[in-house]
Amino acid sequence: MSAQEKYQSLLELANQNGTSYELTEGDNGTLVVTGVAPSEEAKTQLWDEYERLDPEFRSNDLILNISVGQAGGSGTTYTVESGDSLSKIGKHYGIAWKSIWDANRDILNDPDKIYPGQVLKIPV
Amino acid sequence: MKIKVLTVFTLAIALFLSACGKSDADLTKAVNDKLAADKVTGVTVAVKDGVATLTGEVGDITVKNKAEASAKAVEGIKSVTNNLTTKPLPVATPSAPDPALTAKLNDALKTAGCTGANVAVENGKVTVTGEVPAAKFTTCIQTVQQAGITGIDNQLKKGK
Repeated sequence: MSAQEKYQSLLELANQNGTSYELTEGDNGTLVVTGVAPSEEAKTQLWDEYERLDPEFRSNDLILNISVGQAGGSGTTYTVESGDSLSKIGKHYGIAWKSIWDANRDILNDPDKIYPGQVLKIPV
Repeated sequence: MKIKVLTVFTLAIALFLSACGKSDADLTKAVNDKLAADKVTGVTVAVKDGVATLTGEVGDITVKNKAEASAKAVEGIKSVTNNLTTKPLPVATPSAPDPALTAKLNDALKTAGCTGANVAVENGKVTVTGEVPAAKFTTCIQTVQQAGITGIDNQLKKGK
């Protein structure tokens, strides 16, 4: 079983709780997950899941490198204008539309539906 | 009486047609539409006798799982054969050369109150030894994993 298969519930959880991540392969097939969680709570959820799957983190097949992004507050925001789309805004900041979607799950229900005047958090 | 027979007959026909369901071509289109709606791309769909086979290469296992769930959710799909593969991952690079990484780790461990933990770094792979209080254990492992390392050998002991 690959590390991705072993830790799939952790990755699913990251998708659900708004953590954006990238996967790389480290030493000897180690899965390296580098990402940004929207809150300390979301990060703790991921570490709890990691510990559940690999008690005491002894398997040495996963490196979980999650930092916590600034939610609101000092982070960059963008006000949606007419004709905008997540991918267009993403292009403007040089980031994937999905990372904007992930950072704004609390206010967006559908990545295709954003409205002029909405203030989006930009995870940069 | 005649009307009643006719009604029963019509109902039977309707039931038969709905049980028979959509053609494989219709189902293929329905699965493709569902995948597009769920923002899953890079998947090729083939439906035969109501069984959907998914092929192609996707970003990671969560996309593979999502594609399968999407296909299963389509009415008329009996089962899904998930032959999707996940794309090979890029090679991880350490955030710094070994000596700098060692210094960074030692600093971070000290800040986190993990003074009993020792690290040895070789090509980005970190061997963690020593002993820390049980209550600090997870924090210390987190600290090590967040330094931008590419491998780990966790021999850290849980003390009292």
